[in-house]
Amino acid sequence: MLEAIFFLPLLTGLLTLCLPVRSGRVVLMAVALLHLGLTGFCWLHAPAPHLPTYFGNGPAGVLVLLVISFIFVCIAPYSIFYMREQEMRSEPIFLGCMQLFLGTMSMAALADHPIVLWIAIEATTLASAPLIFINRSKKALEATWKYVLICSVGIALALLGFFFITLALDRAGIDVPLTFSALNEAARQLDPLWLRTGFIFVLIGFGTKMGLAPMHTWLPDAHSEAPSPASALLSGALLNCAFLGIYKVHCLMVLAGLGEFSGSLLIGFGLLSIAVAGIFILNQPDYKRMLAYSSIENMGVIALGIGVGGLGLYGAMLHLIHHSLLKSSLFLSAGNLVLGFGTKLVAQCGGMARLLPRTCLGFFAGFLGISGLPPFGIFVSELMILTGAIQTGHPIAAGLFIAALVLVVAGFARIATDMAFGPVREEVLVPEQTVRIVPPLALLATSVLLCVWMPEPLYETITSTIAMIGGTLHG
Amino acid sequence: MNTGIDVVLVVILLSVLLSLASSRMMALVKIMALQGAMVSIAPLLLDEHSPLSNEGILFFQLMFLIKAALIPGLLYLAVTKVAIKREVEPIVGYHASLVVGLGLILLSAYITHHLGISLTGDAALLLIAAITTLGGGLFLMMSRTKAITQVIGYLMLENGIYLVGTALTGQSHSIYLVEFGVLLDLLVGVMIMGIILHNINRTFDDVDTAYLGQLKD
Repeated sequence: MLEAIFFLPLLTGLLTLCLPVRSGRVVLMAVALLHLGLTGFCWLHAPAPHLPTYFGNGPAGVLVLLVISFIFVCIAPYSIFYMREQEMRSEPIFLGCMQLFLGTMSMAALADHPIVLWIAIEATTLASAPLIFINRSKKALEATWKYVLICSVGIALALLGFFFITLALDRAGIDVPLTFSALNEAARQLDPLWLRTGFIFVLIGFGTKMGLAPMHTWLPDAHSEAPSPASALLSGALLNCAFLGIYKVHCLMVLAGLGEFSGSLLIGFGLLSIAVAGIFILNQPDYKRMLAYSSIENMGVIALGIGVGGLGLYGAMLHLIHHSLLKSSLFLSAGNLVLGFGTKLVAQCGGMARLLPRTCLGFFAGFLGISGLPPFGIFVSELMILTGAIQTGHPIAAGLFIAALVLVVAGFARIATDMAFGPVREEVLVPEQTVRIVPPLALLATSVLLCVWMPEPLYETITSTIAMIGGTLHG
Repeated sequence: MNTGIDVVLVVILLSVLLSLASSRMMALVKIMALQGAMVSIAPLLLDEHSPLSNEGILFFQLMFLIKAALIPGLLYLAVTKVAIKREVEPIVGYHASLVVGLGLILLSAYITHHLGISLTGDAALLLIAAITTLGGGLFLMMSRTKAITQVIGYLMLENGIYLVGTALTGQSHSIYLVEFGVLLDLLVGVMIMGIILHNINRTFDDVDTAYLGQLKD
């Protein structure tokens, strides 16, 4: 039953590849709604997996699954109307790969076997590559090539890391199945040297996919060259899957008593990512690239939060949810902007408030949110991570974190002013359309809503996700 | 000592050295086919290998088919369709590459002896071959300008990682369904890379990675 969540989009995705465009669009929309329904069912009834050796519904997995599913439901109608405005030669491929991408990401979220998780994450790379080069421009080709090659090589290293973790299990001489749940129970007996080596490789491997600096080089290219709905999925859903891989191994490390080691590595990579992203955001002429760098920054914040532990863990999980909501909303608004103005350069987007008023509203509200200003959730989560860092005795990390955040906010502010005061254009290429305005605004509204009212099951899932490695809300 | 596995491992090591020294794209593809065949039969020749189950036999046949026939076949198609100039065009010269390859073997032997795990005779040799293949693949990716050689380097890296897995982990963990998933990923990956290569070639009239330098900050 649990497996249906990823089998359904995989099957319909393959089917859509050979269907005509019109019915393909209907299938995409139906699958998005059905997937959300199945995810809801999974949350309420926690169905048992058919293949418990490979899949399971751990709290971290279902949390990521819910985020993916919710974002996909918002992106699916948008992408249908976005594609209608563009002369698209191969729309069936786009529609099919969107569903395959959803299927592989759901599989990654539900995987409990390390190698199955690896297979699913490598499959996400392959399913999303056609989404990026769908336009077949020179730049899109370059971006796709870098994406496929850098991520494949990176993820290959993660496979090596999982072999080392298996070795740690063999060296301990205990006979348990190779699943994360079984490994967690036997964590204390595992060979610490090989566990450490394994973690380093997994962190580098999945860190490449998650966009942690200095392995992030594919990310700005892929996110800026992909069509906007695909960018929104890449940034809002895919990065979380790669994070989940790192998080699961980090949990194993903490349970094995090596949390100090893995935590400090996560803090290091996290801070480096925030700083690198801050520097590149500061003078970024291309707003989609700027959003991509902001994703690197936010992934860094999540890694930092997980690394410091305590209250930071809760903050990191909250940050994951709100970053996905806000960033996919921003990418969707950016898509409207690309359609309207036909450019990705900040300097040529003057007069946005007059020509595209509703897009402007969504875009700037998203800007406020992603810079960490209230009433959006990132304000709360970043505050929690900061408090967590100070409580757990990482004052230097907290200081660097604040400094890097200032850089990021400065970059955002500069772009906002450039967009407001740039040379005013006379007309737009494609006017605004309500169907393309509602999804980004709905995502923003969800972020605000989650700040004032968090449903009980969601709260409980987050706390049980972090309780395993000693994170509390009242730390 | 088991001579069968020794022969296979020596052929794998030689294939790495040959691939570093070869100047023709076609030769490189043939070497990859040989290496794929050797890598897929290596686990069968290990001493501790238990008798195969039915699904095991099926898996090894599939792996041989994919690694030694399907993937090199795809590469062959890519080379005949894509590469107008059939030279490899190295950044690092062939002789220097060969020296790097020999250095890699020495380094792998050093690493294997200092790992602090007691490996049986076969597994130690296997690990040396595995790390050399892994390093050779990475080096090939970095030191050649053609995009297609990067794919070949990636395949070599995967071969190396598969061998590391065979050398280090016990047979009890190999669930063939899971390993088949890994293989399927590899196959689809090469297909997608092939499609992108084709498009790169059509757009730029060449597959030199020097053309892929527009996107940067």
